[in-house]
Amino acid sequence: MDFLFNLLPHLVNGIALGLLFALIALGFMLIIGVMEVINLAHGSLFALGAYMALVIVTPEGGLDAPFLEPWFGIGIIPRYIAALVIAPVIVGVFGMGLELCLRRTYGKDPLYGLLLTFGAALVIEEGIRIIWGHGEYVLPVPKGIRGGFIFADLIWSYYRFFAAAFSIVMIGALWCFIEKTPYGAIIKAGAHDNEMVRALGINLPKLRLFVFAIGTALAAIAGIIMAPIWGIRPQVGVDAVVPAFVIIVLGGIGSFWGAVIAGLMVGMIVGLTAAYYSDWSLLSMYLLLLAVVTFRARGLMGKVSVLER
Amino acid sequence: MRHMIAITSNWFTPQMLVAFAIFGTLPLWLEGVGLYSYIGLEVLIWIIFALGFNLLLGYTGLPSFGHGAFLGIGGYAMGWFQINVAPNLWLGLLFAIAITALFGAAVALFISHRRGIYFALLTLAFGQVFFFVASKWTTLTGGEDGMLNIARLPADFGFVSFSLQHNYALYYFTFAVFVVTVLVLWRLVNSPFGKVIKAIKQNEMRVGFLGYNVYFFKWAVFTISCAVTGLAGGLFAMAQEGAYVQVMSLQWSGIIVLMTLIGGGFVSFWGALIGTVVYYLARDILGTFTETWLLWYGLMFMLVVMFKPEGIAGMWQDGVAYLNRRRGAGIPPVAVEPARE
Amino acid sequence: MALFEAQGLHKRFGDHVVLEEINLAFEEHKLSGIMGPNGAGKTTCFNVLTGRYKPDRGRVVFDGIDITGKSPGAIAKMGISRSFQVMNVFDEYTALDNVLLAVPEVRRRGLHILYDLTNDTQSNDKAEQILAKVGLVGKERVLASDLSYGERRALEIGIALAAEPRILFLDEPTAGLGTEATAKLADMVDRIKEGVTIVIIEHEMNFLFRISDVINVIQWGQVVAVGTPDELRANPWVQASNLGKLA
Repeated sequence: MDFLFNLLPHLVNGIALGLLFALIALGFMLIIGVMEVINLAHGSLFALGAYMALVIVTPEGGLDAPFLEPWFGIGIIPRYIAALVIAPVIVGVFGMGLELCLRRTYGKDPLYGLLLTFGAALVIEEGIRIIWGHGEYVLPVPKGIRGGFIFADLIWSYYRFFAAAFSIVMIGALWCFIEKTPYGAIIKAGAHDNEMVRALGINLPKLRLFVFAIGTALAAIAGIIMAPIWGIRPQVGVDAVVPAFVIIVLGGIGSFWGAVIAGLMVGMIVGLTAAYYSDWSLLSMYLLLLAVVTFRARGLMGKVSVLER
Repeated sequence: MRHMIAITSNWFTPQMLVAFAIFGTLPLWLEGVGLYSYIGLEVLIWIIFALGFNLLLGYTGLPSFGHGAFLGIGGYAMGWFQINVAPNLWLGLLFAIAITALFGAAVALFISHRRGIYFALLTLAFGQVFFFVASKWTTLTGGEDGMLNIARLPADFGFVSFSLQHNYALYYFTFAVFVVTVLVLWRLVNSPFGKVIKAIKQNEMRVGFLGYNVYFFKWAVFTISCAVTGLAGGLFAMAQEGAYVQVMSLQWSGIIVLMTLIGGGFVSFWGALIGTVVYYLARDILGTFTETWLLWYGLMFMLVVMFKPEGIAGMWQDGVAYLNRRRGAGIPPVAVEPARE
Repeated sequence: MALFEAQGLHKRFGDHVVLEEINLAFEEHKLSGIMGPNGAGKTTCFNVLTGRYKPDRGRVVFDGIDITGKSPGAIAKMGISRSFQVMNVFDEYTALDNVLLAVPEVRRRGLHILYDLTNDTQSNDKAEQILAKVGLVGKERVLASDLSYGERRALEIGIALAAEPRILFLDEPTAGLGTEATAKLADMVDRIKEGVTIVIIEHEMNFLFRISDVINVIQWGQVVAVGTPDELRANPWVQASNLGKLA
């Protein structure tokens, strides 16, 4: 009983991770749904989001000029909030750039689109390495959510609670956006039937740009929130795209809550592994991917999913 | 009417002889153009790796994003055999081939019924798992430091023995391996087997409906590709005199994809060779100007995928076709299958 | 007993029942047609018959052997071949190579590494004859992607035919063809008819009525009428239901 009790903080960690994974997966899924493109660069954009936040929040990110000192002098909370707003926007712009590049591959063998996003992932990662180097950075966060506290003889992390809460808010906001706004309705329609959307006079290219922007911005936000948990390194990108893929295979493309639930499952597995074999927690994700794809036949629907073409 | 299928049934082709001539004489002119002996050796080994890899990507259309792991396995196998069983060049290389092929066959069992993104991500996951295990299993592989002191064993034919210590000596041995590999792979892709895997790339479903066991063909291609990769891995371990884990990382697995595609692996046997050479030229020439050369190489890759996925070999073929059209202007144009060079 | 039979096929996708209770019998050496409006379940039926889908209930029997649920590859080896409505040719191969791939001798040698296909005159001859039969003489060395739509259609059928099947399934072969091309197709089907049992799913009524020996009408996932073209023309139900608006 004691043993289970001690697991509780790790469960919270797992939930926080899971919600963040779900956020990444939802952005990933939006893009697949509307464009039928598997964005392998999603992870690198996740990483880029973290780096952009680093730049905004601390001079260590590279903006070392004296005239910027006043900016870094103001309290960390406004800087952090600014990062949470500006960094996803910047990454969203990169996302739109990627969509423009992908246009040449539409209609061709999906292998080319796959290779292109793979190349983009490598390019972004290499770009990050060139600008910020190989080392690991730490993203400063506001005092209120830093550190831990003791409750019921267990050590808990403030940050994980913050991460979980923030993710819930973001997921809720995304859901409202998709379900309640006209833009969201268009995205749902576009995911369902490209032809119909075009026939309705909706500008398909603009829709695609928009979806890419939103999807990648979500990845960036997840990257910022994840930064204190995983650290900011160039290779963190690949580790982000794998759970996204596992989640949509488990939850099915097109299922919003399926992604959330699958995300929680994946997060729990990774989080609990981290409790015992911290080295192996990332590996557990890859093993999970192998298990899930090997044993789960095709998506959920029985028809050939876009992933199999 | 005489049938003229474009499968080249020749054992040798002009391109092959040119390649043999260039690489056979490399030690004679390499330093003259300002390069150094080791790079010739490394390029040739990676060409062998790329040729094996292109069987999967260019011919069968299967994107393997974790192939660097197999190169690493080949290297470790060679080193382990040397140190723990016998310092015999032939047996060591055979062992490297066998072990890598075995790993490849095992992985292929899991993934051969897939294609596209599923296939790619599975190979990526396997690659990462192998990379992780190799990094952590320090007693076997030496972990992050690598397996050191792998010797360049002599090529012992019984009645005569050649030392492969010197870069050029090992280079000529590698060249011999290269020639054999090219001959074998060329026969393979021009055989009925090759025809089927090319068809699988174009339309896997139809091939299945025609009664072929597609799963088996994909499994076989993957295993063969890994066997060749293992051979390259063993040679690489000798060249470096060590087996290191970095080559198993995602970055290196990615680079072989970039190399092969830019070179034109999708449309040409020699695309893999061209791509490898171009990569090393980019690294050593661009690299002297800027540290960001890999970024530019990656961007070039993206441009190639967007505008000319047939790569350099594809551009070459276009050029040849254009010249042919201009030369034979009186002949009505009939599209013929470009002989896969 | 008929060469190929479907007994009590039932197939649903999720909540949607597509095939209710399908019973079909295709006699050897006859050309059987399957017709019905869109959404009637023709394509699903076809896919079940040719092994692409497994039925939820029912059996598919070929030459007395139960082939229900067997993979398309296994079924192909037994002598059942099909063409596709959405063209499934090998674009990077010549017309000859496309067809050559299907020839049984070539397939049997699929694993050969040293065998030289250019010297296999027997297989090459067979492939050429197929191309002649489907009307593609002179196009042997043309890339499939460079053929016209009608020629690709012919090639599509040629590939299925080259497998030397005992029964050949054609999926909406007139799709996308104009009147003249359809007439040519009808001629082609007449040419390839001998020695092969053919089953055709079609939309194009005139075409089907002209070439079929017997026609099955599928509606709402069931076979609602079976008969020769003449019998069906006289069938009041068929007349009344607008299924046969014949010239």
